[in-house]
Amino acid sequence: MAFGKFLLKRTLQGILVVWGVVTVLFGLRAVTPGDPVNLIVDPAVDQATRERIRQELGLDQPIYVQYADYLQDLLVGDLGYSYQASRPVSTMVIERVPATLELAIAATIVALVIAIPLGVISGTRRNEPADYGATSFSLLGISTPNFWLGIMLILLLAVQLDVFPTGRRPVAFHDALWTFLTTFYVGDLLTWLHHIILPAVTLGTYFTALITRLTRSGMLDEYGKPYVTATEAKGIPETLVRYKHVLRNTMIPIITVLGLQLGTLIGGAVVTETVFSWPGLGLRLISAIHNLDWPLIQGIIIFIGVSYVIINIGVDAIYAKLNPRVLDE
Amino acid sequence: MISDRIKSNLRQEFRRNLLPKLGLAILVVVVLMALFAPVLATHNPNTTGHFDDGNSYPPIGTSYDSYEVVDGEREPYSVEYSTDHYLGTNNVGQDVFSRLLYGARTSLLVGILGTGLAVVMGVPFGLVSGYYGGRVDDAMMRVADVMLAFPSLVLALALIGVFGSMSIPVPDPIVTAGFAEGMPSATILPGTITVVVGLVTWVWFARVARGEAMAIRNEEYVKAARSLGASNATILLKHVLPNSLTPVIVLATIQVAAIILLESSLSYLGFSGTTLSWGYEIQQGQDYLRTAWWVSTVPGIGIVLSVISINLLGDWLRDSLDPNIEGEGGGA
Repeated sequence: MAFGKFLLKRTLQGILVVWGVVTVLFGLRAVTPGDPVNLIVDPAVDQATRERIRQELGLDQPIYVQYADYLQDLLVGDLGYSYQASRPVSTMVIERVPATLELAIAATIVALVIAIPLGVISGTRRNEPADYGATSFSLLGISTPNFWLGIMLILLLAVQLDVFPTGRRPVAFHDALWTFLTTFYVGDLLTWLHHIILPAVTLGTYFTALITRLTRSGMLDEYGKPYVTATEAKGIPETLVRYKHVLRNTMIPIITVLGLQLGTLIGGAVVTETVFSWPGLGLRLISAIHNLDWPLIQGIIIFIGVSYVIINIGVDAIYAKLNPRVLDE
Repeated sequence: MISDRIKSNLRQEFRRNLLPKLGLAILVVVVLMALFAPVLATHNPNTTGHFDDGNSYPPIGTSYDSYEVVDGEREPYSVEYSTDHYLGTNNVGQDVFSRLLYGARTSLLVGILGTGLAVVMGVPFGLVSGYYGGRVDDAMMRVADVMLAFPSLVLALALIGVFGSMSIPVPDPIVTAGFAEGMPSATILPGTITVVVGLVTWVWFARVARGEAMAIRNEEYVKAARSLGASNATILLKHVLPNSLTPVIVLATIQVAAIILLESSLSYLGFSGTTLSWGYEIQQGQDYLRTAWWVSTVPGIGIVLSVISINLLGDWLRDSLDPNIEGEGGGA
């Protein structure tokens, strides 16, 4: 199968999945008990006003009409209005995306920078102290709930030693970067960095642990293969074999697993944002659920679902490029 | 089902390695803590007000500084531990050790029941999908794709929004039989969370079962059974199901650990359904990190030890049985 055709097929599947996501969310909202009007106005408000709101929201229509309207609005990017804030949901979602994205990217960088060297060391020095250290670390990392890790980091590094702030995001990365580019003032960028380190480590630890494990076992698998023996027999330096051939082939399963684990990253971001009062989508989702603000809940989850599907198509594409054999399956 | 070869593999791996032994030892302790919580607890976990003059007790062997205001001046003094409260008391004066024991109950109950629900939903789904293949499989796998497009924590949150927080009191046999005076007469099972964690994780079991069914349906013995006139239902129940159990067991073990982590995250976020939960306790303690570090620290150690022990056993099962499976981790 050609790469283009593969991409097209995955995209069509993706659209189907997004439609499913949207429908599930519509269904969940429809079966949620309670009158949404009560969430918008005081329950004591008179019947006429309630009827008017019901009509404005289209709640007086039969369910299939509501569903059709809802799909139609979604197609033009209209996610409705928040019950609580009376603001467009799309704005409320978009304005929170940068914070979550910053956190997710920072965590991924932390994970890759630590995990790959650690996994390589662990895989090439099997059963040596360095390997035991790395293996214990990764077992601990995948077994620790990230919110607790975050709180322990706050306790140690913010409360006791006072070297990091306990949370919040005083400046957005793009603003800090803009300040730096226009005035060469680096202070905002440093403030941003100072605030994101603990949340990034908190969110990144699980992935660091996971990638260390994968790199280690991947390296061990690859070392057993005949091509390694062959290249070594040809007299190619071991370091070159290790990094150019073995590590590169190890990256293929790592990319697949990372794609699958993206959900954990997003879920982890929701929790991490709560621990550090990091003003991202996750924090907004939690408060929306506490308020039963369904349009906002739906908007955020649809956004997450769609991003997830898109990123997964991207991961599959990278995977197909690295390992063209999947195109034939 | 489980052949002698597999059994001897399991035994050998267990004997050769230290880690599964360590995992088993920790898990036994956690299970005993959970089972005998009413007997082992030193105080009713819900009783408040165990204070030293308004201050929470620190864990045994520690003390901390507090102060009182006398004539407008801060007079510092040291708060000492009490031998009555092994791990101190929390911000409302509840015994932390007793709450740790009861928290183990909640974690294990939700972990096991949630996994059970996921198995019951996911395995038949996957077996049917993989066994029949073709259009049935295509349609069923699209449903699974939709499930997989939601991060499990996020879907869990949405479902909690729908169901609300529902708790089921389960009478405690030890207390009912009169062996533990003054302990809560029922354990609160967080019903919503238990159902929700099952609903968001079944798809992993479906994927594994599907893979197995696809491999098994072309085996000679299945073809033989079919040619002898066995119905699809019989083949699924008598041949495909038993032969696909190994990877399901491995996944289930890992999934208990993942669900314990998921439950603690949901409780931490304020959707617990019971206050006797490690995640809830950690959240309560977060506001008091400056004065009472132990309130958040202790239950976290409980979570980490339980999850590590189960993961160690899961690794042992996986290494001995060597099925090829993948699942979503429980980092969240």
